[in-house]
Amino acid sequence: MGSVDVFTPVLMGIMLGGLYALIALGLSLVFGVMRLINLAHGDLVILSSYISYAIFTYLAVDPILGLVITIPFMLLLGFLIQKYILGRGFAISSETPLIIAFGISLVLQNLNQILWTPLSRGLNTSYSHMSFFIGERQFPVSYLLAFLAGIVVMVGLRAFLTRTYMGRAITAASQDKRAAQLMGINTNRIYGYAFAIAMGAAAVAGVFLGMTFPFTPTSGISFLTIAFGTVVIGGLGSMLGTFLAGIILGLSQTLGGYLFGSASQMLIVYVLVLAILAIRPHGLLGR
Amino acid sequence: MTDETILKIENIDVFHGTFQALWDVSIEVKRGEMLALIGANTAGKTTLLDAVSGLRHPSKGSIQFEGEEIGFLDPYQIVELGITQVPEGRSVFPDMTVLDNLLIGSYAASARKRKAENLEKVYDLFPRLEERKRQVAKTLSGGEQQMLAIGRGLMADPKLMLIDEISLGLAPIVIDEIFRALHKIKATGITVLFVEQNVNRTLKEADRAYILERGRIALSGATADLRENQEVKRAYFGVDTCEVK
Amino acid sequence: MIFSKREPLLIFAGFVALILASLPVVGAPESWLVYLFLFFIYLAMANMWNLLAGYAGLISLCQPAFLGLAGYAMTVGTWVGIPWWIGLIGGGIVAAVFALAISTAVFRLSGVYFAIGTLVVPEALRMVFYLWRPVGGQMHGAGAGYMVKGIGDLSGDVIYWLALVVALSSVVLMRLILRSELGLGLAAIRDNERSAASSGINIFKLKLYTFIIAAAVTGLAGGVFYLNQGYVEPTATFNVKWTMTLLLATVMGGLRTEEGPILGTIVVVVLYFLLARYGGYSFLIQGLILIGIMLLSPQGIIGLLRRLHLPAAGRVRGF
Repeated sequence: MGSVDVFTPVLMGIMLGGLYALIALGLSLVFGVMRLINLAHGDLVILSSYISYAIFTYLAVDPILGLVITIPFMLLLGFLIQKYILGRGFAISSETPLIIAFGISLVLQNLNQILWTPLSRGLNTSYSHMSFFIGERQFPVSYLLAFLAGIVVMVGLRAFLTRTYMGRAITAASQDKRAAQLMGINTNRIYGYAFAIAMGAAAVAGVFLGMTFPFTPTSGISFLTIAFGTVVIGGLGSMLGTFLAGIILGLSQTLGGYLFGSASQMLIVYVLVLAILAIRPHGLLGR
Repeated sequence: MTDETILKIENIDVFHGTFQALWDVSIEVKRGEMLALIGANTAGKTTLLDAVSGLRHPSKGSIQFEGEEIGFLDPYQIVELGITQVPEGRSVFPDMTVLDNLLIGSYAASARKRKAENLEKVYDLFPRLEERKRQVAKTLSGGEQQMLAIGRGLMADPKLMLIDEISLGLAPIVIDEIFRALHKIKATGITVLFVEQNVNRTLKEADRAYILERGRIALSGATADLRENQEVKRAYFGVDTCEVK
Repeated sequence: MIFSKREPLLIFAGFVALILASLPVVGAPESWLVYLFLFFIYLAMANMWNLLAGYAGLISLCQPAFLGLAGYAMTVGTWVGIPWWIGLIGGGIVAAVFALAISTAVFRLSGVYFAIGTLVVPEALRMVFYLWRPVGGQMHGAGAGYMVKGIGDLSGDVIYWLALVVALSSVVLMRLILRSELGLGLAAIRDNERSAASSGINIFKLKLYTFIIAAAVTGLAGGVFYLNQGYVEPTATFNVKWTMTLLLATVMGGLRTEEGPILGTIVVVVLYFLLARYGGYSFLIQGLILIGIMLLSPQGIIGLLRRLHLPAAGRVRGF
């Protein structure tokens, strides 16, 4: 990063915030609808990064274009996971899906490790390492793309949730499951759709994450923490809250790196998340 | 009211885990009537409505709607058949607008095609809902929320409407308005089965009533007869003194 | 006497303990001792996870923090001249104090929030120890590991016995706790948190005590583990794989049963032995087993046995 003034980390942090909000969307949706913290969310995002990596490396298809494969794949995977694994867990007890999600997380981590080795990978397209300039300051194009993708997905998801029958049914089920059932909503199926959509958002997140950061099979947990932190800060059910929370975390990371050195920037994010949990367990911007 | 039976519940037992909430309950509902369920707090009224709605399944006995067995169906299938429930405590979707609450009421495929028509009917019945259609539901008053819950139920285009605890926590003037609306709903041919704590009021408004006690049917009959029944007077009007004094 | 009603069992347990203790002396194969050592360590930790998740309703995902901090405390202690056995006890205390410290944050969280709040803790610690050099120098792992100093005279047999003692203590401790006021209070909370609170049970306090005890014992077991390993480094120490192992042992045996972790840990160690040669596939398979058990027999092997033998009395309760 050429310049040393504070403007650079601020803009970087804001752009990063868009990516973080994008990563958090799926976690937030699943938590909102099913009251489940999907411990495998980070690994599912990273799985999408690897799928994009495979499409890019072996088929030479641009990762953004590759979304036409990645999104449907993740939609289907999400639906199947909910229908055949997590959904059954909900019928057993409230903790069962949490432990199952933890199991899925480990399965995915090790599957990714077997398929793609523990080496660090990245989606290095021709444009992901290009830069744009504001004055003398230089910024990576990939950050801007991730930020824009975050906004597009958020606006699209919001429209879906408020304008379509299925979206409204998902919203209804998240606010009052019993009443939703009485409206003729098949909540089990709606859970499947909600999980699928969350995974669709994770697919987009995975692609832009892969263009922004290098990733390894165990990166999932860092991004789970970031997504969780975003949900904690932003509260549930508010797209704007999620967006602002993503930016808060992005800024804390880039400014933390700016002030204390880049080695400690993730530590600052973790400590921030724990501190916020200690002070406001239900979120800064939440109800 | 016709003599045709729309809902027939025969000898059902319903359990909550290991606790038996309903014992050998039988109820018959005629098409077009307004029927009341009366009983104390834990008498099993909500459980009975939930059994009809498919939220709980009877372990014994049968529930027939228009001659078809529905005791094993899931809630969403029951709504498709034309049975809607207005749940206790209103249970409107708090963070959705009034309009979105009404629209989600027409979620069932059978109701979607008559969405516009039913929306108009609801607005006719409760003009206040139209005035507040852009408002978020949790900001409505209790009475308005009850209107919204009933309106949302009507959006499902029901043949049979189950209403739990109509007047709970509402002001008398609002209760009057709700009952006026129920009579209008009944006049359009929809059968109404409601649960109510206020026995006196119920016996005035409904055509017939069933009295549940500890999960069993204790009494039933036309409300005109029940009003004169000595047992009912002793058990209920002894406490509910507002008019019998 | 807590064992009075089950005297034959006590005699049997004592007999097994004696045999296990005598193995190093009678010249049992080295590989047996290695796997038994792992069994002891995992058993102590799994017992504590069972206490937390099964009995106190705390799905704690920060056990690596306790065992790792204790391991670091013991190891770093040997660098500043503290004998290893004081460091071992000190490690348990460090873990307990750390549990107390983070409880102010994580105990404000309930259910799923608690789980993820605790998941973050070992991750944060891993970075702390990655960056921080408590006593300077760089020995092992990714540049931030330390050797345990001054244990050249310590024989493997002693470490084996230490592990056996920790494992046996954890089993006895579980029995004591579950029959004490603490255990009865936890049972009351589990049955009905609200009525327990209204009958004067201080839920927060009971859960906190449980958390601290579990941290201390997990720390002790961790200390013995690193004593045996001879070095400690952040990546493998503050690793979610530990959590996976403990979870698997408990869930597979039977969460919220006293015998569950013993059975489950045996299976985990056997799996570890069988799957060792498959490297990365090992945890993949363990993850699949975990999911399968949760779905097919949420009460684990114990639940399965109870269902087969006592169809009426052993009604499996969702935990």
